[in-house]
Amino acid sequence: MKKIIITTFLVAVAFTSCKEDFLTVIPETNLSSATFFKKEADFQQAVNAAYVPLRAIVNDRAYLLGEMHSDNTYYYRNILFGATEQQEDIADFAVPTANGVTSNTHVLNQYRLDFQIIARTNQILALIDDVEFGADSKNNLKGQAHFLRAYAYFELVRYFGKVPLHLVPVTVRQEAALPLATTDELYAQIIKDATAATTFLPLKSKQEAGRATSGAAKTLLANVYMVQKKWAEAETLLKDVVNSGEYALMPDYNDAFSTNTGNKNNKESVFEVQFLEGSAGLNGSFIYNFLPRPMSPDELRPIAGTSNPQPLTGEGNNAPTPDVIAAYETGDKRKDISIGYVTLSGSLRANKTFPYIKKFAKTHSLHGNTGTNWPIYRYSEVLLFLAEALMEQNKAADALVYLNQVRSRAGLPAATATAQTQLREIVYRDRRSELAFENKRWFDLVRTGRAIETITAYGNRIKANPVDYYYPEGATARGNAFTNISLLYGLPADEAALSPHF
Amino acid sequence: MNQKTTFRSGGFHVLSLITCMMFLCTSFSYSQIKGKVTDPNGDALIGVSVAIKGTTKGTQTDVSGNYSIDAANNTILVFSFVGYETKEAVVSGQKDINISLGLDDRLLNEIVVVGYGSQLKKSVTGAVQTIGAREIKDIPVSQIGQKLQGQLAGVQINQTTGKPGQGMNIRIRGQLSVSAGSDPLYVVDGFPITGNIGSLNPDEIEDISILKDASSTSLYGSRAANGVVLITTKRGKAGTNVSFSTFTGIQEVPVKGRIEMLNAEEFAQFKKDSYEDAKQPVPVEFQNPAQYRDKNNDWYDALLRKAPLQSYNLSVTNNTERSKTAIVVGVFDQQGVVLNNAYKRYSLRMNSEYKISNKVKMGFNVAPQLVYDNTPRTDGDRGTGILFNALHTWPVMPIRDANGELTLFNRFPASTGNIFAYANWVRAAEELVNETTNSNLISNAYMEYEPIKGLKLKSTFNVELARSKFFFFNPSTATSAINTPVPTTAVSIRQNVESMSWLNENLATYTKSINDHSFEILAGFSNQKFDLESTRIQADTYADDRLPTVQGAINVNRGGTNTGVQEWSLTSVLSRLTYNYKGKYLFTAAVRTDGSSRFGADNRWGTFPSFSAGWVLSDESFLKDIEQVSFAKVRASFGVIGNNNIGNYTSYALVNNTVNAVFGNTVAPGAIISTLSNSNLGWETTKQFDLGLDLGLFNDRITFIYDYYNKRTTNLLYSVQIAQESGFGNFNDNIGEIKFWGHEFSINTRNTTGKLKWSTNANISFNRNKVIALAEGIDRVYGTFHITKVGQPFGQFYGHISQGMYLNAEDLKNNPQVPGRSTVGSIKLTDQNGDGIITNGGDFDDRVIMGNPFPTFTYGITNNFSYGNWDANIIGSGSQGNQLLVRHIYSTANLDGVFNMVAGVKDRFRSPENPGKGMYGTTVGGGNVTGIERDWMNSRFVADASFFTIKNVTLGYTIPKANKVFKSARVYTSIQQLAVFTKYWGGPNPETSAQGDGNGDGGNLSPGIDLSNYPVPRTYTVGVNFNF
Repeated sequence: MKKIIITTFLVAVAFTSCKEDFLTVIPETNLSSATFFKKEADFQQAVNAAYVPLRAIVNDRAYLLGEMHSDNTYYYRNILFGATEQQEDIADFAVPTANGVTSNTHVLNQYRLDFQIIARTNQILALIDDVEFGADSKNNLKGQAHFLRAYAYFELVRYFGKVPLHLVPVTVRQEAALPLATTDELYAQIIKDATAATTFLPLKSKQEAGRATSGAAKTLLANVYMVQKKWAEAETLLKDVVNSGEYALMPDYNDAFSTNTGNKNNKESVFEVQFLEGSAGLNGSFIYNFLPRPMSPDELRPIAGTSNPQPLTGEGNNAPTPDVIAAYETGDKRKDISIGYVTLSGSLRANKTFPYIKKFAKTHSLHGNTGTNWPIYRYSEVLLFLAEALMEQNKAADALVYLNQVRSRAGLPAATATAQTQLREIVYRDRRSELAFENKRWFDLVRTGRAIETITAYGNRIKANPVDYYYPEGATARGNAFTNISLLYGLPADEAALSPHF
Repeated sequence: MNQKTTFRSGGFHVLSLITCMMFLCTSFSYSQIKGKVTDPNGDALIGVSVAIKGTTKGTQTDVSGNYSIDAANNTILVFSFVGYETKEAVVSGQKDINISLGLDDRLLNEIVVVGYGSQLKKSVTGAVQTIGAREIKDIPVSQIGQKLQGQLAGVQINQTTGKPGQGMNIRIRGQLSVSAGSDPLYVVDGFPITGNIGSLNPDEIEDISILKDASSTSLYGSRAANGVVLITTKRGKAGTNVSFSTFTGIQEVPVKGRIEMLNAEEFAQFKKDSYEDAKQPVPVEFQNPAQYRDKNNDWYDALLRKAPLQSYNLSVTNNTERSKTAIVVGVFDQQGVVLNNAYKRYSLRMNSEYKISNKVKMGFNVAPQLVYDNTPRTDGDRGTGILFNALHTWPVMPIRDANGELTLFNRFPASTGNIFAYANWVRAAEELVNETTNSNLISNAYMEYEPIKGLKLKSTFNVELARSKFFFFNPSTATSAINTPVPTTAVSIRQNVESMSWLNENLATYTKSINDHSFEILAGFSNQKFDLESTRIQADTYADDRLPTVQGAINVNRGGTNTGVQEWSLTSVLSRLTYNYKGKYLFTAAVRTDGSSRFGADNRWGTFPSFSAGWVLSDESFLKDIEQVSFAKVRASFGVIGNNNIGNYTSYALVNNTVNAVFGNTVAPGAIISTLSNSNLGWETTKQFDLGLDLGLFNDRITFIYDYYNKRTTNLLYSVQIAQESGFGNFNDNIGEIKFWGHEFSINTRNTTGKLKWSTNANISFNRNKVIALAEGIDRVYGTFHITKVGQPFGQFYGHISQGMYLNAEDLKNNPQVPGRSTVGSIKLTDQNGDGIITNGGDFDDRVIMGNPFPTFTYGITNNFSYGNWDANIIGSGSQGNQLLVRHIYSTANLDGVFNMVAGVKDRFRSPENPGKGMYGTTVGGGNVTGIERDWMNSRFVADASFFTIKNVTLGYTIPKANKVFKSARVYTSIQQLAVFTKYWGGPNPETSAQGDGNGDGGNLSPGIDLSNYPVPRTYTVGVNFNF
């Protein structure tokens, strides 16, 4: 019997003798930082993941901050439905802001999504040179990371002016929040990253469709120079893109945009955010966000083309304003391609017919689930940028060559004006018509110094004629509408609470 | 060794044979002896062992203290009972032997189970409260937690949901944490179990010890901070006893206390009025509210039913010189009061101990169990809570169509303001399958060896196996979610979880007395390992609802399909020294060192010491002469304990490799670092001080226990929010400090001791907490509608203070407003910072602490009566000063008429002339106006949830004469949850609180939220216990 006891004790002692091994329990269903970022495939996956926040940005936020926050679109007021002041505040230029900080959730989410891209790309760029693999592949991955980081900071600097500048991964709690960098510092970094991307990235024809290319990087960098009014630098880059032979306008404006599964990353596409219909969570749903309400299944069916349309309730967003509708020149083919009309039997308004954004509304199969891509840069914008850069350098004749390519596709007569002020107005107007609803309008108004004046007049029109802007009869604009017309958004309050720096 | 064992077992057989022969030899001269065993006060003693000396034959006294036994002349009967002296009586022809047992050095020779051993109650220096199975035997419930409600000082037990087998929230001394678990550690027969204590058959339990202070828990080290519940299961008692007990009952949800909602006509009238007030045309559906007068649809009531429950338990115990056995077989079958809810438990326990020799004992316990439950998705908000959804459904929507068939779903035209599709919740209850089958096995094996007198070496090996099979099927014809039209996509989920936990523990105990010095030394070490593997498959889009197999689905949902592994390991060394001088100066020191896989690589080992001392004043000469004081002891303890419920892999940086991209129409796998690592992450530390007084007065007719405690929990596990410019939302760290303190009083009195015997146990506890610190730079953490702020108690309700409505244009003009939103008749909130406007969130926030979910005190009172063969008891449990946030009001008082509403909205603001009662504002202006009172949580929705509940009333009758069928029998009837006395208006259950649901409701930082959970039913039962 003693032997049993002794044996038991010995067995037990044996268990404890390998204590540290016994106590080391590594997660088995997750990779951990100790095992990741060790090989090429890890970096490929990390770069793929760095694109992912773009989906949420364009599906849920960018149209609010960049388009509905302009005179191009407004919201469809539904008095039966509440709790939409977050969107309304943006459309009404009434985002509550104090001490440079706002509690608006869309502002917060846009900020966080951009920083997700930045953190993911920082992680890649900090570690990729420590791992040996083929130079072509490595350069391509680095180029994509630089491009995405530049793009994210470019969004941030235009929305907020000043944000923290993170370039290396955060590893401890105390490093999480950094001081705000100046606008100049941010632009310097954006130019550095975008320039690196132009050298690391391959041409579109050499790149997997949908990923960033040298053409996309050059367009992005040119866009930065356009904002900075560095016309000559922009011109050089844009000419590179034009002369690369990689891009062309689609003959029909309607074909510039992807359908649910087809026409993606077409000849005109410079960079677009990729969606895939289905249950894997890679889909978009933005066209639904852009529809007026309440809409019955029968009214939705012809737009969505699904077999199981569901009624849409609540409040709709991104309603084309009478202003943008009126901005199209007579005969502009883009107008009817961009804007459609739908009649809502359940509307409480006397006029039950509403315009809606049609250019992205492609038929698909699953309710609320689309695969349509979102354009970030199209070749037509490259041409318009180039025309503008030339116009600003008083090279009107050269400018007209590029401008008229875009006008001609739209079924418009060639522009002939050579006086700079006259040509400028034509270029601006064509930008508005060509790029309507692509989240360019607000940035263009700011970039060209016309934001305050334009929006003030627009606000007065809404307040004077609310019914024209889709209010029900008898309703008036909210008391705070157009009380905060400013060029930048306040920094998000939830982040301010977590940062000692703002 | 084999030979030796054979010899031993042979010896055992010989012994049995001899016993058997003795039995045969003497049987012819047997006669029946009867009698009653009483205590010095003449009270019947129940369960006294009556044995014939030198034999294995014996019985126990019944609930009236009576026994009967066949015994031969000149044999000796031995009467023994824990806490009483043992007496012998010689059988010499008499028919009746009545015995009065004196208290064995009064009650305090009672043995109390403590961590890693047992102690004389008199000598205990920690705060330990025990409760015997007998004290709670008649309560007809499935879970031990329900039986303990109201019985224990310092232990708050709330039944948060009426779901059978679920929802008991047990907090010892108010312990809580920001994000680590707060449930006590459950130790069954020395084995800390990992599974759900709620499924343990209460009839298997012999007694329960609740360890509350650090000195009694510190031997459980890093798992002790939430308190420890020691459960000892049944052992063989003297002789052979067979007993059978059963009860059957019916449960129902009383109408009183349910939330009063608008009926169909009132709802239509509300809609009509709100369109008219907004000067909008009234939709045709609501132009004539009277048409709905006899067409009300009470969706909530439609989900409820009267439901039966029944329980059967058979127990056999046997005790011979060489072996002890106890077997308990139980069947418990409860239908729920919500349609289609069933809970069944089949359990078996076999405990046996063998004395191999005078020095060696071996024991084996095996307890398999099968629990089946199908619970409709009753709890939660509008995604899953069908009870919540039923409250919200327009009462004008028909439950059944003209043919009497259940409707599929209802939706009024959008022009009526109907935003959501309302599925038929009766279908959701009846057609959704949500079943779990758990099979568990807890087993212990041990061997104890006493090489020299006083030294015991004990080695145990314990295994807990658990297998859980979950099956969910949502057919296309039903849904539990608001706004999912039916037919919907059929979804199935299958989840299998298997886990094993093993523990090896090796202990040496040495007990020695030298003159007046007694001491005991305990030393030991242990290893425990837990492994869990899970498989989950989610599939959807079924061609045919009748075939919910995985292969029958068109689509397998990748996001919902996964396998999981969870593991942890724990290595520990422990020791304890207990010393006393003359039994009146008591001292204990204990320490445990734990190494845990959960702790970060640089912080793997924690040490948890404790010290305690006691002084038995009543043994001193200066108290000896005061007759009224039969016992007095003061005790004090201090110790450090930990909480390791921090998650298994929290210290690691994990990679999430499902962050996929798309290029073209091709999916490209993506991966991110999703969490930051912290190699210093460790346990939460609690330092606890306890001061106690135990008093016995008038020969222990009154006993009184008082405890004061003061504890500080530091290094709280918290996922500290960090600026998301880092790309991460949180960093898992040990931060902050919470202080807890409180007073606990228990009193037991025997009020009358004559023919009518009446005794009372009462307790009251005052628990307080205060946040001393959070992380540097962080002085507050927000929950959904809560704030946890330095200098304040934890988890306070946070929102605006309502002052009613703006009554007229002048009132509106003269008071701060929400810019662009406030109107006449909208809610008037308080401008706390005096900036002239009302702001929600941000730097100019006007929100303040508006309520406290924690009670001022909790209490319980139990009265026991007996008169002749009749007995009765009443158990009450209460809580005072706690508040609940009536969270469902957020939508059931949505003045936009999107949902059905509480009846109170009839008294809303209509006009300055008709301002209502100040609780609900105007409907005019839609969400821009109504959204303030709804979405900006405010003080109107904080409700006093103080309550006193008569948990149980039992009336029993003992059949006096034994007969050929049984030795004794008792019948009883009881009512569980007889009455709830409360002013709470937010729902039927003031004990409720939402469980963490991922929406922020009910997490640790968001306590005290009423989401309209499954109501706790009232239960009427009859039962009978037989002893054979």
